[in-house]
Amino acid sequence: MNYTYFPGCSLESTAYDYDTSARAVMTALGHKLDELPDWNCCGATGADVVSHLLSIALPARNMAKAQQMGDQIVTTCSSCYLNLFRVNSQLAADPELQHELDIVLGEVGLAYAGGVRVRHLLELLVTDIGISAIAQRVQRRLEGIRVAPYYGCLVVRPYAEFDGPDLPMSMDRLLTALGARVVPYVMKTRCCGGVLMTTQKNVALKLVGDILEPIRDVDCVVTVCPLCQLNLEAYQREVGGQLGTRVNIPILYFTQLMGLALGLPEAKLKLNASLAGTQKLMARLERPAVYA
Amino acid sequence: MPEKAFDLTREMLDHSFAETVAPDREKLLTCIQCGTCTASCPTAYAMDYTPRQLWRLVQVGLRDDALHSRTFWLCTNCYSCTIRCPRGIALTETMAALKRLAIAEGVKGKEKEDVSSFYRAFMETVRRHGRNHEPEFLLRYFFLTNPLGLLGQARLGFDMWRKGKIGLYPHSIKAKDEVEAIFRKSLALDRDKEAHA
Repeated sequence: MNYTYFPGCSLESTAYDYDTSARAVMTALGHKLDELPDWNCCGATGADVVSHLLSIALPARNMAKAQQMGDQIVTTCSSCYLNLFRVNSQLAADPELQHELDIVLGEVGLAYAGGVRVRHLLELLVTDIGISAIAQRVQRRLEGIRVAPYYGCLVVRPYAEFDGPDLPMSMDRLLTALGARVVPYVMKTRCCGGVLMTTQKNVALKLVGDILEPIRDVDCVVTVCPLCQLNLEAYQREVGGQLGTRVNIPILYFTQLMGLALGLPEAKLKLNASLAGTQKLMARLERPAVYA
Repeated sequence: MPEKAFDLTREMLDHSFAETVAPDREKLLTCIQCGTCTASCPTAYAMDYTPRQLWRLVQVGLRDDALHSRTFWLCTNCYSCTIRCPRGIALTETMAALKRLAIAEGVKGKEKEDVSSFYRAFMETVRRHGRNHEPEFLLRYFFLTNPLGLLGQARLGFDMWRKGKIGLYPHSIKAKDEVEAIFRKSLALDRDKEAHA
């Protein structure tokens, strides 16, 4: 099936490895992500600080354009997911906001009044395509790989559309079906600090330290969000300094690990984009560790 | 942190404050001060008022104390408080409303300058290209706040560039005029509403 795809800004820069691997995985599963033409930034966490109306109108332009292509929109970024989802949720509850949006979008000849279903790729994979169907396509089981699934915030909060807001399990089940050894992980939805990593670095470094400390011995962490990935991977030197130990854990996108299990070559999954390096992980895949 | 004692006088209270700030004032007034928000907040440890204390300031109308707090600038939008609040109050949205109000009123303070400049730099970049462009956005931000801070980003910036994760050129959209019109009209409607308030 073809799905209207909203990549979001990070997916064409800091998270191009997420974009490439997401498309490759969907193709391998017999589906296709059709990029929404000429999409704009969803506003991230910035628009709402400038103007509440703008924080609805920016993503609503994308929703209006998606409606011309079908009745759903798929995204891979958790922040985009929240902002698109929030349009539907707030318009349904606030007629005055709908009226204001009509005026703003009217300026560019568009209209949106709800009706486009917002999907995160993780949700689409586990609900529509299904874990058992994916498991049947596995070419290379991820035996012996110890992985911590990190969900972060916005894919499960505040809307909790498909999984629990505190201890979600959908990605755990998906990775287990791929053969990976998923570690129990209580910090899986604790916030990575988001933009505070740039504005209030010391506050955010502590959060990342708290998240990585209990899982320092895993082979990799997988995430569903570009900003989580960046915060957890790019500052490991400083985090290690705070924890008084060396921290070097590859933080991959869940689509990259899925792609390996589906037998896709490393180049198609852009594993070489990892700042922490994936050599050890790949060696482990070749020669699985034996756990008691 | 010991709780600050307020010697309350009538002049200190702004009874319409909760209405100005909260997207759902009626609900915010039902806050029972249980502290679930504070216990759930990943950055409460760095705040001056905990989230629970901040809601109390808003409830009773201690406007200046609330608006000069660091608390909402340290909110990461993680929605942990919102999802757990037993009263179902839209707490994360209220944090955003406090940011907007503090910016509108020109409140000073380091966190405020850092965080609001960050968002301003981000939104200016988006307004120009229709999408974010990391290098331009970060240059704008550090230029506004701490130009020397760019040096601290240099190593990571180089690593990211080497890995193909940041490019020198923006991915501008074609319909930049549409994005500009959406910005212009949204901000104009906001101003109209403020003028009639």
